[in-house]
Amino acid sequence: MTATLRIVLAVVMVLYFVIVIAMLRKKRLALNYSLFWLAFGVLMSIAVAFPQILEWVRIGLGFESAMNAFYVFMIGASFVLIMMLTSIVSKQSEKIKDLVQHNALLEKRIREIEKDNDKDEQ
Amino acid sequence: MKVLVIIPAYNEEESILSVIEKLKKDCPRADYVVINDCSKDNTLQVLSDNKASFVNLPLNLGIGGGVQTGYKYALQNGYDIAIQIDGDGQHDTKYLDAVITPIEAGEADIVIGSRFITKEGFQSSGMRRLGIRVLSTLIWMCTGKKVYDVTSGFRAVNRDYIKMYAQDYPTDYPEPEAIVQASVSGARIAEIPVIMKEREAGTSSIRAWKSAYYMIKVSLAIVLRRISQRKVKR
Repeated sequence: MTATLRIVLAVVMVLYFVIVIAMLRKKRLALNYSLFWLAFGVLMSIAVAFPQILEWVRIGLGFESAMNAFYVFMIGASFVLIMMLTSIVSKQSEKIKDLVQHNALLEKRIREIEKDNDKDEQ
Repeated sequence: MKVLVIIPAYNEEESILSVIEKLKKDCPRADYVVINDCSKDNTLQVLSDNKASFVNLPLNLGIGGGVQTGYKYALQNGYDIAIQIDGDGQHDTKYLDAVITPIEAGEADIVIGSRFITKEGFQSSGMRRLGIRVLSTLIWMCTGKKVYDVTSGFRAVNRDYIKMYAQDYPTDYPEPEAIVQASVSGARIAEIPVIMKEREAGTSSIRAWKSAYYMIKVSLAIVLRRISQRKVKR
């Protein structure tokens, strides 16, 4: 990793944390989903601060270059994130379904109560 | 015993009233509830103008979510038996007593009205029958239980299964999967012959070009359900 690349990446990482924390503060990122992003940022920062770690990974796993190891890591992380999102969407659609059903059943009860009230008034 | 007929309806403005009228005549002791699954036509208007008993879903949930709403309603209102029939008139309500009887006698937990036992009435197209046979075989392999008309939406369940389906009911193409769910949990399933008509109006929810997708998805759902469903101790 060249010195220039490291400086650029360091700036990017600082920006990254600023954005994540700003989103957390404005509640545009729920805390339980932010752990992934914070952990991801910490890992990236470690890699930028100590590029020799990437070098060990490269040699240990037999990659041609450190950037290849980096790409594999990035793709793996993206994959985990997409799985997380799919799981969140599935859970939410289940919750929406329950809400819709509950709402509809309540609405029927209200209609029945109103009908009974009308009868009593007459 | 308190009996509820659940009628899921999506765009059934033309047939829903005649289904309700016939139901009242054929089985006067049963209550009914129509689940209007956010129909785009005037189903809601027809139901409310005629003071029918109905639940109106504010969003379209599909057949699974709709039928489950009916089971939730049955549970909340203390029904002993719930029967689901289609809102399009293809299920003849004169068989209601026939599907209720085995449950009342305590001989079965779930009764499925099947068109393939006496092979009378509307039998569906050849391709569709083949698909149903494949699913039937798959369910037999997964549960050891032979059910012939696995896609039949004409079925009655007792209180235990009203409760189970109110809590958990498959979403997209629920009929075959619901059989596996009940069977693995230890249900006694009976199949009785009924004669079905061709749908009076509207279009079947399973269109031809979707059938391959349907088969794959339902097969996957059956196998997944076999793996994940736990036996219920009663």
